[in-house]
Amino acid sequence: MAGEGGAVNSIEVTVNGETHRVAVEARRLLVHFIRETLGMRGTHIGCDSGNCGACSVICDGQLIKSCMMLAVAADGCEIETVESLGDGPDDLDPIQAAFKEHHGLQCGYCTPGFLLNTKTLLAENPNPSEAEIRRALKGNLCRCTGYVNIVRSVQAAAEALR
Amino acid sequence: MLLAPTEYVRPGSLEEAIDELGARPGARVLAGGQSLINVLKHRAASVELLVDVSRLEELRFIDVDADGSARIGAATTYGELERSAELRGSHAIVSRVAAGTVDRQVRARGTIGGNACFADPASNYPPLLIALGAQMEIAGPDGTRSVAAEDFFLGLWRTVVGPGEVLTAIALPPLGGASVGYRSLQIAADSWALARAAVWIAPGDPIQAARVVLGCVAGRPVRASAAEERLIGGPRSAQAAADAGALAAEGLDPPSDVHASGGYRRAMAAVMAARALSDALGFAEEVASNGR
Repeated sequence: MAGEGGAVNSIEVTVNGETHRVAVEARRLLVHFIRETLGMRGTHIGCDSGNCGACSVICDGQLIKSCMMLAVAADGCEIETVESLGDGPDDLDPIQAAFKEHHGLQCGYCTPGFLLNTKTLLAENPNPSEAEIRRALKGNLCRCTGYVNIVRSVQAAAEALR
Repeated sequence: MLLAPTEYVRPGSLEEAIDELGARPGARVLAGGQSLINVLKHRAASVELLVDVSRLEELRFIDVDADGSARIGAATTYGELERSAELRGSHAIVSRVAAGTVDRQVRARGTIGGNACFADPASNYPPLLIALGAQMEIAGPDGTRSVAAEDFFLGLWRTVVGPGEVLTAIALPPLGGASVGYRSLQIAADSWALARAAVWIAPGDPIQAARVVLGCVAGRPVRASAAEERLIGGPRSAQAAADAGALAAEGLDPPSDVHASGGYRRAMAAVMAARALSDALGFAEEVASNGR
């Protein structure tokens, strides 16, 4: 099936527990599917070239960059976005609370990616060393904090979740 | 970013994938997409049909035999290479390089076969696979063939994989007591590598056989034959590593670009070769190497 934007494929994707059956253009990036088709704007586009990690989401349990994957390739997958964490200032997830408490953000643009990175890291390794935290965070860039407070936030989140 | 219109299909078997590729001259294999998606964003290549092989079970395996040989499915991710206890037992260097590849997001999606087929001169695997004596298994409409890694990479972004063909597996011969080393130079943690060297040295003293392979210095990996000749017949010594390394980049004319001049690349390729040889021979220098 070809339209102005090229071929369209029918996909079934579960995002934060809700299953969506939709037709998407083959050329559509997963990040645009999440932000524009589903209207979930918590996943940010930073560099659009796979370097900054602001668009990171969890796909079948693994952290990925949603600007480096086609939406059609997520057919059948379970996606978790930052909206799966706490729902506002009075309902923070322990990871969000730790970032707030330890100033793990300033402008906040990169934060959704860092939060989800932390979630997958702590699921694999509940007690990471500082070196392990820094290695895990390598694919997420922050231009405000200098990372020190982000590392402290991850350590605090790990302690809170243990 | 908006990609040019394209079509997408996810075949259920390797046979179907080969049929899809054969039916459309503008079809191209999509694996993890960690290079190809950026190529499509830049519209640097025109692809009419993406044939997604990333979930084909036929391409997703790591088999290690009792003799220490390993076969790796082309759609195996870096993360799977990093975590494979079997591969760490037979070819730890491949796991170690995978663990140091970019970041966890890329390691979750990027595949060893996709990396080989992308054939970027700055990539880790092309020189490493040549040094390890890998055989690249390719399937196409006329059946399967096996090509030595040394003959697989033709030049910048070009390999012997032809239209309608798919790289299916990479076979690594047993190390069998051979010594290996791998070194890369990156100025910052996330920058492009400026020089890489992968080495393999057969067991025995004096040295019977050696492969010294450089990356980032030409359109394809380069065998440093002068360095290999210097090693063969000589002792397994720190001096041998230094002397052979010094010869490794002789005669090369690497490209200059915004990251480094050609002369600097040539000089650093020799340093990486010396350090990789030193590691392999057990005289490791304690120098920063970005975790590689």
